[in-house]
Amino acid sequence: MTDFRKLTLGIAATFGLPWLLLIVVPAFKYQHLKPIAYDKEADGMDGYYPQSNANVLGLQVYLREGCVQCHTQMIRPTQFSADGWHKGWGEDQAERPADATRANTMRDYLAEDVAPLGVARVGPDLANAGYRLAAMDRSMIHAMLYAPHSVAIWSNMPSYAHLYKVRKAQGPKSELALPLSGKFAPAKGYEVVPTPEAEQLVDYLLSLKKAAPLPAAALGTLATAAAAK
Amino acid sequence: MQNPSPNVEPDLQADTLRRAAIDRSVKGPVLFLLTNGAFWLMASTLLGLLAAIKSFAPDFLGHASFLTYGRLQPAHINALVYGWGFQAALGVMLWLIARRSGQELRTGKSLMMVAAFFWNITVTIGIGCILFGGNTSLEWLEMPAFTWPILLFCFLVFAWPMVSMFARSHRPEGFMISSWYIFGACLWFPWLFSTANICLHCLPSLGVIGSGINAWYVHGVILLFFVPVGVGAAYYFIPKITGQPIASAQLAKTGFWLLAILGGWTGMQRFMGGPLPAWMVAVGAMTGVLLLIPVLVVGLNHHLTTLGKHNLVAVSPTLRFVFVGSIFYPIAGIILALISSFWTGFTFQFTHAWYGYQIIAVYGFFSMVVFGAIYYIVPRLSGCEWLSVRLIRNHFWFSVYGIGIVVVTSIVAGMQQGGDLTAPERWDQSWISVVLNARPYLIARAVAWAMITWSNVWFLIHLMLMVAGLGRRSSAPTLLERHDDHSDPHLTHGAKA
Repeated sequence: MTDFRKLTLGIAATFGLPWLLLIVVPAFKYQHLKPIAYDKEADGMDGYYPQSNANVLGLQVYLREGCVQCHTQMIRPTQFSADGWHKGWGEDQAERPADATRANTMRDYLAEDVAPLGVARVGPDLANAGYRLAAMDRSMIHAMLYAPHSVAIWSNMPSYAHLYKVRKAQGPKSELALPLSGKFAPAKGYEVVPTPEAEQLVDYLLSLKKAAPLPAAALGTLATAAAAK
Repeated sequence: MQNPSPNVEPDLQADTLRRAAIDRSVKGPVLFLLTNGAFWLMASTLLGLLAAIKSFAPDFLGHASFLTYGRLQPAHINALVYGWGFQAALGVMLWLIARRSGQELRTGKSLMMVAAFFWNITVTIGIGCILFGGNTSLEWLEMPAFTWPILLFCFLVFAWPMVSMFARSHRPEGFMISSWYIFGACLWFPWLFSTANICLHCLPSLGVIGSGINAWYVHGVILLFFVPVGVGAAYYFIPKITGQPIASAQLAKTGFWLLAILGGWTGMQRFMGGPLPAWMVAVGAMTGVLLLIPVLVVGLNHHLTTLGKHNLVAVSPTLRFVFVGSIFYPIAGIILALISSFWTGFTFQFTHAWYGYQIIAVYGFFSMVVFGAIYYIVPRLSGCEWLSVRLIRNHFWFSVYGIGIVVVTSIVAGMQQGGDLTAPERWDQSWISVVLNARPYLIARAVAWAMITWSNVWFLIHLMLMVAGLGRRSSAPTLLERHDDHSDPHLTHGAKA
């Protein structure tokens, strides 16, 4: 039957083309990106770009909890948005950053199986959360995850209390105990301590530093440089 | 339909008997899929309501891990897509292709029942995993990796007989645009699904290309599965109920081939301005806007087919749902163009507008058309008529208003959020003010889901009564209004296949 053959071939051709060019070829082409070495002359620094990779164990917790539903990890270029100018969204933690944070590139997500770019931006962007959170005490980060309302009363972030243990305080106060006060504090004689998963999640958040300067070799020709492996 | 009156001409009667035999042959799988789909729709609606409440009141019902927004929201979407969407689609596709190809389903029926059963088990386990710690955070693929080969196999158990029925079709002379779309959906989905899953689960270190493939998959499932099934069903039911042939075969073919050509390219514009190679994003944005052409071509064709018969929209439940679904279709196309073009896309990027698009595509357009189809198909399979006009009206109005509110508030919230996020003069506002600006829209979303919940409770009960054979015993279909001046559309025009 002619209709059947015509349709099958037509569908195979029309869908096969984008399938091949947009999915299959790029998937294999960009899978083996390698870090680029900084050039001492051109870049004024040593080492490799990217400088740090995301913490893998904590990423599992991040994905499992569905953080991507509200948090993106993608700074857009300044010509399209104000992302780069928001306080704390880059390396510079000043009230008014001197320079806009740069937009992200492919190598910022090196070694991540699928980059968690995010579904919606209900909460702040986390691409450079590592710089921002490094300014905080580690136990304060835990307190924010345990009871977001203790940090911002109108926050609509859920409490991740299931990543924490409430236990009877024994002897001197544990240095791991979360600094909670008021209605967020546990009952008297008890303390809240993070589980290993909560520690991994915080490690992951602290590892999110995607604002390292781009090497001169990568500027301008990112796509072709990527292809060159 | 089931009781042809004695004075009908003999060949018409033979035709009626043949159609009844076709209906009987697909009865088991179709009713099983539709009923289970309706249960999943109920589950998805409740999860949607809960997720919407949690999005502005995170302390609601306590801090249990499975009640956090990050797990509820994907569970809600997955229940909507895989629980309801696919099962309802497969049920309607199977019935339509059997009718359009004029063939009884001969083999593979028990295998289909087993596949449908396993589909439900797998989706149940998959959504359980999302809620209890197995969330992969890949959009629309949040269920753990082990589910996808099972789902793919179950889908193929349905797709294979449909493709072969289409190939052996008895009516080469007739124009079969509905069958084209359904045949396309049978091919496109397994292709998309296996590509996306193999890439995302089996290839390591894809990085941002993986995110791009994920976005491509979501757009692909909407444009090359839900859209073809919905449009195919609309192309069947609008001419059927209005009794007018499809206005233009030329437009119908153009719409089909343009969708086929453009559908596979779009998706990656979701990460515009991001780390993906610029051409991939640009191609997605371009096709996202160009898709307006096939969408409007189909919309125009449906409009021309309905022209002059709009009074039937008030009478026939099937036409009413299909008609409204077909209005939601061009609106969904316009929203896709708005979130895709670079001109407006940066404002809508990463905002609630994306949720609005998913809901208008999967619920506003696809599900409304499928509801219409269900109101037509189920009486023919269960041998009884819908019990209550009031329940159908209730289902219709609460769905339309509920979905309308979800979509409108999501888009407006998206504009608000987008303005807050991208406008240069707002670079220094505190994050909490962005959150507070979006809050009223989230509350409206919760109200809307409550309305949809109300509509679905009655739809589910009504459908279960029908499937149990407890419907009205009558040869006259349940119509929403009864006028003396025109006859029963389902009876007069039901005779033409």
